Amino acid sequence: MTARKSLLKVILLGDGGVGKSSIMNRYVTNKFDAHLFHTIGVEFLNKTLEVDGNQVTLQIWDTAGQERFRSLRTPFYRGSDCCLLTFSVDDNQSFLNLSNWKKEFIYYADVKEPENFPFVVLGNKVDVTERQVSTEEAQMWCQENGDYPYFETSAKDATNVAVAFEEAVHRALAADDKADHLIPTDTVKLHRKPRSATSCCS
Amino acid sequence: MAELLKVIFEREGIFLHPSPDEGSPDQDLLVSGSLRIIEKDAEILVEYRPLEDSVDPSNMLCAGQDSSSVVEWGQSAGEKSQSRQLLETQQSYETEWDMVNAVSFKKKNYTNGERSLNHSHERSRWAFSVNISDLKSITVKEEGWTFLILQLKDSSSSIPALHFHQGGSREFLDSLRRFALLTECPEDETRLLVSTPSKALSQSFENLLDDNNFGLVHKFKRDPYVTTLGSFSKVTNYIYDALRGTEEQQQQRPPEEVADLLGEVIPGLEINQQEEPGFEVITRIDLGTRPQVSRAEPVSADEWSKHQDPEGRIENEAALRQRIFKGGLCHAMRREAWKFLLGYYPWTSTLEERKSLQKAKTDEYFRMKLQWKSISEEQERRNSRLRDYKSLIEKDVNRTDRTNRFYEGLNNPGLTLLHDILMTYCMYDFDLGYVQGMSDLLSPILFVMENEVDAFWCFVSFMDQMHQNFEEQMQGMKTQLIQLSTLLRLLDLAFWNYLESQESGYLYFCFRWLLIRFKRELIFSDVLRLWEVMWTELPCQNFHLLVCCAILDSEKQKIMEENYGFNEILKHINELSMKLNIEEILQKAEGIYLQIRSCKDLPHSISSILGFDTQHRVSSQVDSGSRPVQQQDACSNGHCRDNRPQNSCRGVFTS
Repeated sequence: MTARKSLLKVILLGDGGVGKSSIMNRYVTNKFDAHLFHTIGVEFLNKTLEVDGNQVTLQIWDTAGQERFRSLRTPFYRGSDCCLLTFSVDDNQSFLNLSNWKKEFIYYADVKEPENFPFVVLGNKVDVTERQVSTEEAQMWCQENGDYPYFETSAKDATNVAVAFEEAVHRALAADDKADHLIPTDTVKLHRKPRSATSCCS
Repeated sequence: MAELLKVIFEREGIFLHPSPDEGSPDQDLLVSGSLRIIEKDAEILVEYRPLEDSVDPSNMLCAGQDSSSVVEWGQSAGEKSQSRQLLETQQSYETEWDMVNAVSFKKKNYTNGERSLNHSHERSRWAFSVNISDLKSITVKEEGWTFLILQLKDSSSSIPALHFHQGGSREFLDSLRRFALLTECPEDETRLLVSTPSKALSQSFENLLDDNNFGLVHKFKRDPYVTTLGSFSKVTNYIYDALRGTEEQQQQRPPEEVADLLGEVIPGLEINQQEEPGFEVITRIDLGTRPQVSRAEPVSADEWSKHQDPEGRIENEAALRQRIFKGGLCHAMRREAWKFLLGYYPWTSTLEERKSLQKAKTDEYFRMKLQWKSISEEQERRNSRLRDYKSLIEKDVNRTDRTNRFYEGLNNPGLTLLHDILMTYCMYDFDLGYVQGMSDLLSPILFVMENEVDAFWCFVSFMDQMHQNFEEQMQGMKTQLIQLSTLLRLLDLAFWNYLESQESGYLYFCFRWLLIRFKRELIFSDVLRLWEVMWTELPCQNFHLLVCCAILDSEKQKIMEENYGFNEILKHINELSMKLNIEEILQKAEGIYLQIRSCKDLPHSISSILGFDTQHRVSSQVDSGSRPVQQQDACSNGHCRDNRPQNSCRGVFTS
């Protein structure tokens, strides 16, 4: 048993149309589809990466942003290790709504210590020329709300997407007690703990 | 007369680890088998049947995996084939067991009152059957997996420990709790004392009412269903959780929590499936073999015109609907035929009448369109709801079927039409406005109509059917999920139990299917076919739910073989998108319909979901009860069933 595995649940939240699915697809498949459908229900993709010599599986959850779907979206917040609050730099309303998304997440994810929970903020669509939200405004918000890391991303031309997710992973690992995620797998209770891999591999 | 048997719980992959002093020469001997809770002749029995006498211990490596974890994604190929091998042997066993069932489970060792361990037959050496009223306690232990030790009141007999290498101990205990109160032993927290039925259940109910624990009472009040007799299982669960304390809760894994929360969002699941008050008991009904169904050619323009009289009325609407149900429409006919199917044109209208109808509807449409077109920027600034609808419509129009030639590229007029119709619909129904998913429902209609006004009114008709899905409380979605779950439970109890054991019994993963009627699951041309078939309203009400069952039927093997958990089931179903074959699905769905239709002893809940209660009754001489009259071919196999009293158990019968 050399490799240790761990599973991190990361959730993308933000207004409809800010590019949550595109960010996820860019990161996991390194593709951008300008004709992607808007998300109905919830979806997730997995990506395995290596962090400090450990295998980490990122489970990235993507949800429908419209208010109407709240009741069927919020149950999936449970168990998240990191939340990516997403807005679009060409849509001021989506930026103003960040606080609501944060509140909704903290409430429904049942976060024990909200002030210590790792949020990462993404300002997407920086490839668009007509910005409505400036970098300074966004940085200010992040600073005032809990000193969150801020990334200006473009799912379209792959700007900063991987960096943002890597930051999310580091924050998530740092926030929780490391041991919680990287327990030697043979001590894991098989019946109750889906977070860690079982040790059946020879 | 056949013995009556109800299967309440069923799980494979339960192991015994006989020690040498139990007569096994081999230290490493493992017995794999299936555990069931059954109700037989008003008795609740726990029974274990081994798969075979021993199992290669190397299989255990995989058997130890947590079924609901997500870690299998990284599994090596070797492990996978191993686990598949294990599952295959179990499946063949399952088949055999089903066969036993078909002959009414005529096993000597299950005679009434029998509870001693059966060592008589070599193959069933490790089999046992025990009445739960003879159980004294259950000890729950963990050893990397959970194992249970069942102690009998009669201390002279003992039962080997049951090892749940593949999970399921919790489900087993939950199922037991429907019939017995399990309370933690004060001296030993790993030990659950078993007290027997009825009395215990009513006691637990009283306990609940006495309980001052806010959480419990709160939860209780929020769920009025719990107050009915049938949900004692739920009540005892609450009690149990309260007794177990917070320790257990902290260990709860996220998918379980997610599932619990979803269960609150979609309430009433369990209760709905009850036929009679009293215990919630799952019934196994043999539906007989599923008939092979063939599909027909699409209705051609020639064929369609033959159904019109000289003035344009459609003659023999019923036959035409039947034809469309069986074959769909050729594409050229859709523009006209859909208007009838959707109720925009009455079938009995003449060409002249339709012309004047269309004229009136055109005026009405543009009057509503002008309403939003004429809103000034100032007005819009003060109307946040309209602004939100508008902004979301603009975003979604740009993300709907953009690879379809009708909507592709920049500045495609199709996009403008899609946008304008959705905006006008907001004016038509401002309370609902625009909800994500509606653009998916409009897109195929507009594609077929190629006309703004016709597309709008056809969309209005379709939305009349789908409206509840999009309302604030999403009642339509909840109802459909419950109905689907009810149907699936009847059709495939083993699969339903599996999903339930993976916290997926409320079928959340079918959400997208139901919200927008498979629009995202099928390629565009197949969506057109499916929708026109559904709009015939044949062969029964809620046929789309049988379409769901047909798809699930095709996926069940994969899901169960791979032992998918909550997350993987969701992922697997999401990823079926664009891989489904519509004609196969329609064949299977119709086959399922015929299968259910010919079932003589349908629970009322099923007939009411499928509208058998209200549908035109097929003339028949049998059955004078309130149940729907069944077609005569229900007896075609020569096994006409005797009429049992309504409250009796529905047993398993031969097909």
